[in-house]
Amino acid sequence: MKKQIVTMKELPLLIILVGLAVIIAIANPAFLTIENFLDILKSNLVLAIMAFGMLLVLLTGGIDVSVASMIAAVTVITGNVLVNFSSNIFLAILAAVISGTLMGLVNGLLIAKLKIPPIVATLGTMSVILGLTLYLTNGAWITGIPENFVSFGRIRILPFANRDGRIIGLPIQVLFLIPVIAGTWFILKKTVIGRGVYAIGGNRESAERMGFKTDSILIFVYAFEGFLVGIAAIVHTSIMRQVDPNAFLGFEMQVIAAVVLGGASVLGGYGSVLGTAIGVTLFSIINNGLILMRIPVFWQKIVVGLIIIGSISIDMLQKQREEKNQIRVDVE
Amino acid sequence: MKAVIKRFFSTKEGTLFGIFLLIFLFMTLISPGKFLSVYNLQSMAYQLPEFGILALSMMIIIVTGGINLSLTYTATFSMIVGGLAMSAMHAGGSSPLLSVLVGMLLMLVIAALCGVFLGFVVSYIGVTPMLATLGAMTLFEGLSLNITKGGAISGFPIEFLVVGNSTILGIPVPMVIFVFIIIGTWLFLEKSKMGMSIYMIGCSPKVSYYSGVKVKKILFQTYIIASLLAAVAGILMASRYNSAKESYGSSYLLQAVSAAVLGGTSINGGEGKVVGTIIAVAILQIISSGLNIFGFNRYLTNVVMGAILILVLAINFLVDRKSARK
Repeated sequence: MKKQIVTMKELPLLIILVGLAVIIAIANPAFLTIENFLDILKSNLVLAIMAFGMLLVLLTGGIDVSVASMIAAVTVITGNVLVNFSSNIFLAILAAVISGTLMGLVNGLLIAKLKIPPIVATLGTMSVILGLTLYLTNGAWITGIPENFVSFGRIRILPFANRDGRIIGLPIQVLFLIPVIAGTWFILKKTVIGRGVYAIGGNRESAERMGFKTDSILIFVYAFEGFLVGIAAIVHTSIMRQVDPNAFLGFEMQVIAAVVLGGASVLGGYGSVLGTAIGVTLFSIINNGLILMRIPVFWQKIVVGLIIIGSISIDMLQKQREEKNQIRVDVE
Repeated sequence: MKAVIKRFFSTKEGTLFGIFLLIFLFMTLISPGKFLSVYNLQSMAYQLPEFGILALSMMIIIVTGGINLSLTYTATFSMIVGGLAMSAMHAGGSSPLLSVLVGMLLMLVIAALCGVFLGFVVSYIGVTPMLATLGAMTLFEGLSLNITKGGAISGFPIEFLVVGNSTILGIPVPMVIFVFIIIGTWLFLEKSKMGMSIYMIGCSPKVSYYSGVKVKKILFQTYIIASLLAAVAGILMASRYNSAKESYGSSYLLQAVSAAVLGGTSINGGEGKVVGTIIAVAILQIISSGLNIFGFNRYLTNVVMGAILILVLAINFLVDRKSARK
C-alpha cells in the first residue's frame, strides 16, 4: 500500500527534501518560520503552475523552451487589458488563458503537424514571441494595475495574526494551483489523453499503431502548457501588481529543472504529478536556502545547471545498471 | 558552360547560393550605396567569421544527431577564464606576447574541458544532448557570472586586438582564420574516417555500433572538437570587443541552428555539408546586416531570425513529404 503512494523514484526525493530542510534550518533558523514558508509558497506559485504543463511536455519526450517568453507576452497582454480596456477580473483571466493557449497551440501545431523537433520549434517561437514582446513594449513596465485586481491579489485565505500582530495567511493565488494539480493528475491518470502522453513518450510510432491520435495529443499537450502559462500570468500579475516584460529571462530553465528534479525523464514516458510536486518543492527550498545561507545570487544558475545534468545523469546510470542486470538474467 | 551553371544551381548548395545572390542583389538595390559600401562589407567580413565558426561547431553536433545549446556559453566561459588570466598577466608586467599566448591557450583548454564534460555526460552517461547541453548552458553561464559578477573582463594587451581587428594583405585576419577553419572542418567531417563515423552515428547509433564504430569514443571526441571551435569564435569575439562577457554572441545560438538547418543539415542528424552551412551563414549575415542598415529594431531582427528557422524547417518538411509521396 505504501509503495503505491510513494514509488521507488519518489522516496529518495522525499529523503533529500527532508535532509535539505534540516541543513538549511540549522544554518538559518529563519527557515522554519511560517512566514518563510508562506513566502516560499507565494514566490514559487508561478513556477509550480508552469511545471505541471512542462511535465506533460517532457512526458511526451518533448521540451518547451518558449514558456518564459510566453508568460512574458501573456503578462504584457493581461496588463494591457487590465489597464487600458477593463478592470474586470474574469475578462483578464479570459484574455490571459486564451492568449496563452493560442501560443501553445502554435507550438503544438509546429511539432505535431510539421514534425519540427520540439527543441528547435520552441527555440524559434521563443525568439519570435520574446522579440515581439520586447519590441512592442520597448521593455517598459506596465504599472497602474486597477485597484480591484490589486486588492483581489491581496486576499488571504484563513488569515491570522502572527507574533508581531501582522495579518498573514495563505495567498488567494493558491486557489489557482490546486485545480491545476488536480486537473493534471486527472488528465494523466483518468483520460485516454494521459495514457497517450505516456505512450508517445515511450515510443511515438508504437503509440500511433496502438491507435492513439498522437498528433492531437501532442497539440493538446503544448496547448495545455500554454493554458497553464495563462493562469500563471494571472497569478504573477496579481502578486507583483505590475508587469515587467523582462521579468522572465531564463525562467524556462527553472521550470525544466524543477520538473526534471522531480524525476520526469526527458526521454519521455516517466514522471508523475507527485514527483513534479516534490521536485518543485525541492527546487523552491534550494533557492530559498541559497538566499537564507547568503550565497551569492550567481550561484543559483550553477545550481540549476547542476540539478538538470545531475538528476538526469543519475537517472541514466540507474537505467544502465538495470539493463545490465536484465542481460545477466538472460544469460543465466 | 551553360549546362555546367545550370547543373550547379540545381544542386542543394547551388540553389542556396542562388538565394544568397538574390538577397544580396535585393539588399543592394533597396539601399543604394549603403548595403554595398566598403564600410558595410568590411563590418560583415569581421562579423561573419565568429558566427560562421559557431555555426560549423553547431553543425557538427547536429550531424551526430544532437544539438549544443551551450555553444555560445562555452565560447564566452572560455573567453572569460582565458581573458582573466591574460589581463592579470598583463597587469602583472609579463610580456604582452606571452600573456596573449597564455590567455589564448587557456581559452582553448577551458573550452576543451567543457567539451570533455559535455562529451562525457552525453556519450558515456547517455544523457540526451538537448538536456545535457541545456543544463550546461545555465551552468557555464553561472560559472561565468560568478567570475565577472555581471560585468566584463577587460584590460587585454593591445597585441591581442590584432587577432580580431587587423588585416593581412587587405583581408581581415578573422576572415583568414575562418577560411582555415572551413577547410579544416571540411577535411575532418567530409574526408576523414572519423567524419564518416560521425555521419553514421547521426543516422543510427545502433547500426554504427554493430558495424564496429566506437560510438561513445567518437561522440566524446566530437564534443571536444566542437567546443574547441567555439573557443576560436570566442577568441575572435573577445579580441573584437576588447573584452569578455558571458552574454557575448548569445543571439548566435539560434542563428547557428538556423544556419545549419538552412544549409541542408538534417535536424535529426546524419546529413549535412560544410559548404551548405557556410552559404547559409552568409545568407543570414546579409539578412541581419541588411535589417540593421534599414534601422530595424534589434528585437524585430530576433523575430525575423526565429521566423526564418521555423519557416525553413516547415519548408523542409513539406518538400520531404512531397518527394516521399513520389
